[in-house]
Amino acid sequence: MNPYLDGRPVPAPSRLRFLVFGLAVVLAAGALSTRLFAIQIGGAMPYTALAATTRTVVEPLPSTRGVIFDRNGKPLVSNTASYSVKIRPADLPESRRVQVVNTLAALVGEDPASINVALDSNTGSSYDLVRVAQDVDPRVAGLIAESSDALPGVQVVVDTRRDYVLGPLLSQVLGYTAPISGPELSSLKDQGYLPDDLLGRTGVESEYESVLRGQYGLQTVERDAAGRDIQVLRTDQPPIAGSSVKLSIDVHQQQLAQQALQWGMKTAGLKRGVVIVMNPQTGEILALVSLPTYDDNLFSQGISPSEYQALLNNPQKPLVDHAISDQYPPGSTYKLVAGTGVLADGKITASTRIRTAGSLSLGGFRFNDWNGRGFGLCNIYCGFGNSSDTFFYQAAAMLGIDRHGYWGKQYGFGAPTQIDLPNEAAGTVPTNQWKLDTLGLPIYPGEVYLAGIGQGYVQVTPLQLLNAYCALANGGTLYKPHVVDQIIAPDGTVTNIDPQVLGEVNTSQKVLAIMRRAARNTVVIRHTYNLVDLPIVIAGKTGTAEFGSGARGHLAFHTWFVGFVPKNPWKTLSDPNGWKAVARTDSPLAVLVLAFDSNTRGNAATEIAKYFFQLHFNIKKDYRRPDLLRKVSN
Amino acid sequence: MSIVSTGASRPDRWTAARVSVVWRAFDLQLAVYAGTLLVFGLAMAYSNTVTSGVGILDGASVFLRALMWTAIALAVFLVATAFDYHWLKTFAWPLYLIQIGLLVITLAIGSGVGGSSRWVSIFGLQFQFSELAKVLMIVVLANYLGSRIGRLGSLWALLGAGILAGPPFVLVLLQPDLGTALVFGAIVVTTLFMSGASLRWLGVLGASAVAAFPFVWTYVLADYQKARLTAFLNPLADLQGTGYQLAQAQIAIGSGGWFGIGLTNSSQNTLGLLPVQDTDFVFAILGEELGFVGAVVVLALFVALLWRVLVAGWRSKDPFGTIFASGVAAMLLFQLVVNVGMVIGIMPITGIPLPFISHGGASLISIALALGILESINIRQRRAEW
Repeated sequence: MNPYLDGRPVPAPSRLRFLVFGLAVVLAAGALSTRLFAIQIGGAMPYTALAATTRTVVEPLPSTRGVIFDRNGKPLVSNTASYSVKIRPADLPESRRVQVVNTLAALVGEDPASINVALDSNTGSSYDLVRVAQDVDPRVAGLIAESSDALPGVQVVVDTRRDYVLGPLLSQVLGYTAPISGPELSSLKDQGYLPDDLLGRTGVESEYESVLRGQYGLQTVERDAAGRDIQVLRTDQPPIAGSSVKLSIDVHQQQLAQQALQWGMKTAGLKRGVVIVMNPQTGEILALVSLPTYDDNLFSQGISPSEYQALLNNPQKPLVDHAISDQYPPGSTYKLVAGTGVLADGKITASTRIRTAGSLSLGGFRFNDWNGRGFGLCNIYCGFGNSSDTFFYQAAAMLGIDRHGYWGKQYGFGAPTQIDLPNEAAGTVPTNQWKLDTLGLPIYPGEVYLAGIGQGYVQVTPLQLLNAYCALANGGTLYKPHVVDQIIAPDGTVTNIDPQVLGEVNTSQKVLAIMRRAARNTVVIRHTYNLVDLPIVIAGKTGTAEFGSGARGHLAFHTWFVGFVPKNPWKTLSDPNGWKAVARTDSPLAVLVLAFDSNTRGNAATEIAKYFFQLHFNIKKDYRRPDLLRKVSN
Repeated sequence: MSIVSTGASRPDRWTAARVSVVWRAFDLQLAVYAGTLLVFGLAMAYSNTVTSGVGILDGASVFLRALMWTAIALAVFLVATAFDYHWLKTFAWPLYLIQIGLLVITLAIGSGVGGSSRWVSIFGLQFQFSELAKVLMIVVLANYLGSRIGRLGSLWALLGAGILAGPPFVLVLLQPDLGTALVFGAIVVTTLFMSGASLRWLGVLGASAVAAFPFVWTYVLADYQKARLTAFLNPLADLQGTGYQLAQAQIAIGSGGWFGIGLTNSSQNTLGLLPVQDTDFVFAILGEELGFVGAVVVLALFVALLWRVLVAGWRSKDPFGTIFASGVAAMLLFQLVVNVGMVIGIMPITGIPLPFISHGGASLISIALALGILESINIRQRRAEW
């Protein structure tokens, strides 16, 4: 009797089933041995001979990235060979990682932490190369390449580095290339991006990434056991080189604009400024300066975390293109909107005179004119020329906020200009609907006044403002601004980027001619001091906009100048004041200057613009007035 | 007599005079085969340590760690042998709760590669509780099926075993550790088969598993799991990705030839080309360094060991012993076939360690525990002769 199971009889184990199991064991061992024999003795695997020597793999073959020229064909970026150090994590035994990383860090002169970060932030497969150092000294690169036994998984690769020939001059326009990040890779993997790829960031490098990059090919290479490429066996699919692009930017004009801005900022002690030069006939940007700036080469050569942090922490935000990515209240330059509106809507004619005053009262508040006295009875030329605030409070009130907003949008405010550069801000055109949507309140009458003089809720980017005056200058056509003129394929085929029209300002040529004459009047009546004395005809508008809070006892403000010159701008005896010249719509040059936080006696932006005109037209006599750039004493 | 006194209270009273008789029933062959496999494992750990450039006595030495685990495993084996296995039946249910507890703890505080939770760190050593859970699973199943022996023709036995195995299976799958979950499956099916469960219902079970496969493939398995499961069909297709391990493993094994290139000489090992070389793919290095002969010797040792395990089960008059031995044999065979099969490219990559050879402490201790219990079953069967 079996002592188990409380005396119940226990059936013996099934002999058959034990036999089946035993058979399974024998069969399994037999199958494994057979396969082992086939691999080890029979040479069934094609890899047998390769283990100690080589293996072939198919790897991507990078295409040559297109370069960037200025409008005269001057190269702005070049591709330079440089050594990068990369690690294939799968080939780096975990037990040796600390030692390898430390050795490598000492060799390339980097912090071990940054190598570890690069390794750990690799989101792809552990068989993909991770770039841990770039732009390595050739001697160090040689040393690393020769000591693969001491540095398993580490490879030296020849990379192409972008060299930005002119350094900081065009940094915000050009942008730079930098290693792709994990999240970017996951969205771009389908387009053939590799984990150790470089990606265009900001500026033209980013906006025209797909054009510049070209298409990677495939090649079969022979690798040794350490994973180093020995030789290329064949090209399976040739890479297609990227196209080059030709900018509308003129390096010479860019230098002049930067020179003018730097002079003004230095003299007036400013920390931030913008100059944009544009052709109103095409929307081409000829120069785009945003100071302070940075050097793209810092990034393409591998910026250190501390350098990057310093750029990020700079309160003047050098990495931001203030010309397109920042928005500011436009101040009096925005009087173009109310002026055009009241004329176009028939509220006034060119001869209608409006009473201006030292201040207007509305709802218990006083709305002052800037000179505290007003300008008496004023028509549009007087009101715009003197920049009378009380004139434009009334003009805006005649239109009402929604109609005022309509004319703002006609000039392209409140929407991105769609320039071919990334991170463009949209600006704000206040209307009843806008305020209800964003703040849940209706517009108050006082806010209509403020909108009329470009204060309150109105926000514009410098580029929007310039584009609006370009439309004024060319007879009402709002072009899409652009910095790239041509795309040049590797085979030499040129694709021109034709001017694109965003819209037409919905008014008559007569109204626009009045506004151009009013803009010329601003200069003629010496609202802009001696700008009128230059031997060229300039029409434009100044602006002084308050911003921020009055923490220092008064409101900080920045100054604007935006203007244009007609074709053949030189003054003639038959048209000494240029009235005929500004009646034309042929202006090839419009300029905007923003002097940020410029607490100066005169309008700093106008002085900078004046200097640029002098440089641009090679005017020998110096009309600059540094005295106007002195600080206002508090 | 201290060593057998643990079992003194039941079911019989053992006396010192019978100790020598009892120990004669100890299966020395089983211990020798297991011990020889252990030596192979230590040799691979030594090779790995030398070629990775770490000092033998260094803190990071794989060999030193393997030695330590071997010592612990030997102790576990001896204690389990001396321990009267009948107590396991008494404590089957608490053991089941412990098993589930271990797996829950692993899920809760465990760590692993890429967001998985497979190991729990104890005193700085990584310990994979799911290895221990496998042996506990065998104990629980052996108790359940053993007490129902002769009544296993119905569907209910199958369902009962399935319900028992369900929670641990799911917990392991959640880690996620598909390989260990499959080992659980193999253990359940084999113990059912060997305990005499209805072939008809086993067939139905198999058919429904096949039928469920497309559903599991589509809705349960993650993309990386599918990639690993299919890579073995064509390692060249994705040489930079999943196929890389396989290609590397076969390069290593293929360069072994008849007698191998000698211990510590592996180029794949030296260059660190083979990923996870000290665990799942260690058989590739063994094949490279010890050649076809070495690999076949290891396979033969496994066959011999399995033979002794099955003999223990056959001889056991206690259904618990029979079923326990079947479970242990199933676990060893399944892991052997899947691991070696994976390395030589005829099985999917599932991350199952090779018993004795892969350098995992938990794996080694669990096997020592299982074999110790088996010896305990061996030496407590011969009462009828006295």
